[in-house]
Amino acid sequence: MIFNSEISGQQQHTTSPVVTGGSVIALVYNGGVIVGTDTLCSYGSMAAFKNVQKIAQISKNTIYASSGEFSDFQQVVKELAKIDRSALQYDDGVHPSPKDYGNFLARLSYKKRCKINPLYLQNVVAGFHNGERYLALVDIYGTYLESNFITTGFASYFCKAIISNYWNENCTLDQAKQVIRECFKVLFCRDCRAHDVIQLAYVDEQGTHIEEQERVDTKWDFNGFKFRANEKLHTQ
Amino acid sequence: MNYTDILTSKFEPETTGTTIMAVIYDGGLIIGADSRTSSGQFVADRCADKIDYVHDRIFCLRSGSAADTQAIAKYVRYYIDAHAQELGRLPAVATAANLFRNFLYEYKDSLSAAIIVAGWDPYKGPQIFTLPLGGSVIEQKWSIGGSGSTFIWGFCDSNYKENMTLQEARAFVLHAVAHAMYRDGSSGGIIRLLNVTKDKIEREFIDYKDVPVK
Repeated sequence: MIFNSEISGQQQHTTSPVVTGGSVIALVYNGGVIVGTDTLCSYGSMAAFKNVQKIAQISKNTIYASSGEFSDFQQVVKELAKIDRSALQYDDGVHPSPKDYGNFLARLSYKKRCKINPLYLQNVVAGFHNGERYLALVDIYGTYLESNFITTGFASYFCKAIISNYWNENCTLDQAKQVIRECFKVLFCRDCRAHDVIQLAYVDEQGTHIEEQERVDTKWDFNGFKFRANEKLHTQ
Repeated sequence: MNYTDILTSKFEPETTGTTIMAVIYDGGLIIGADSRTSSGQFVADRCADKIDYVHDRIFCLRSGSAADTQAIAKYVRYYIDAHAQELGRLPAVATAANLFRNFLYEYKDSLSAAIIVAGWDPYKGPQIFTLPLGGSVIEQKWSIGGSGSTFIWGFCDSNYKENMTLQEARAFVLHAVAHAMYRDGSSGGIIRLLNVTKDKIEREFIDYKDVPVK
C-alpha cells in the first residue's frame, strides 16, 4: 500500500521530467511493424545514460516504446507486462492483443491526465495479431491514434517529410529500416537530445525481434563546414 | 521549461551552449571548440565556428547568447583594428581583453555573454584571459568555458601540466572537448582547433569520425 502514493495519500504531481528519452519512429511495412529509438536518456541537457534500451517487449507479439520521462516508461512497461502475465492464470492460451494494450494505455493515460498527474510520455504501441499490423500513438493526455506511421518528439518536426517521400505502407522490411535510419541521421544533426546509436525492433508473423544497437553514419566533412573560418568575415 | 513546452516548440533564443577551451603550451597556445549552436533543443547550426578573429594573433571564444557575443566581438574587432593602425604594431592581448571587459561590465544586466580571449603578443607571449558573465577579467594558463565545460573540470584539473609540448597540448584540448561533447547535449558536431604561435596560425578541422570519444 505504501508504494501506491494515491492510496497512501501522499500524491505527487509530475511537474517536469527529469530523465528523458528521445524520439520514437515507427512504421508499418509489408508483413509487420517496425519501431526505432535511439539509445540515450538525457538528464536535462546532459547525455547521462548512453546504452539504454528503450523498446520493451510486452508480449509475444507486442512491443512498446515511448519518449519522455524514463521512469514513467519503466512504470508503463511494468503495468503492461503485469497484464500479460496475469492472462496466464486463465490457462487458455489467450493473451491480450496489441490493440488491447494500446487501449489500456490510452485509458490509463487519460485517467492520470484527469487527475493532473500525467505519465509524461508519448507512447507507441506496435504489434502483429491475426495477420493484421497494429500501430498506435498514445500521448500525454490519453489521446489515442492508430496510424501507419508514428513519430514522437522532435521527429514529428523533421522526419515526417522523409517518411512521406521514401516510405509506403507496403515497402519491405529493409526499406523501412533504411527510412528509419535516415530519420535518425537527421535527428542526430538537428536535435540536441539525440544520439547516433539507435535500436530497431520489429514484429511480424513469427513474433518479436529486437535488434542489436547500431550507429548511424552522418556526414560532416563538407568543404563548407571545414572552411567556415571566421577570419574571412572581418574583411566584409 | 517542461516537456509540453518543448513539444509545443516555444523556442529559446539562439545560444552557443557550447564547449570552448584554450591552453598555453611551451611556445604558443591551442584553442579548441565544438561546432553546435542550439536554439533550445534544436540545433540551429551544426558546423559553427566559435573561434572568432579579433586580430592577427588575438582570438575570442564565445559562449552564451550568440547575438550578444557576435555583436560585442564585432565592436572589439573594429576598435582593435583602429588601435593597431595607430600603434603600428601588434596590439596587446590584454588590450583586447579590456575592451571586451568594458562591454561585459557596463552592460552586465542586459547581456548574456562569457568570453575567453586568447592570443599571442610580442610583449608577454601567449596569454589567455577569461571573462565570465559579470565582466571580471582573470588571466589563466588554461581556460574552459560553455555549458560543456562542467563535465570536464575533473578531466582538465587532473590532466593539465605546465609547459606542455605542442603535441601534448593538442591532445589535451582534443580529448577534453571530445569528452565534453560526449556528455553535453548542447555541444556536439565537429571539433575546431587553432594553434597560435609567434610565427603562424594553424587551423584544424576534426571530422566527427575522428573525434576520440563518441
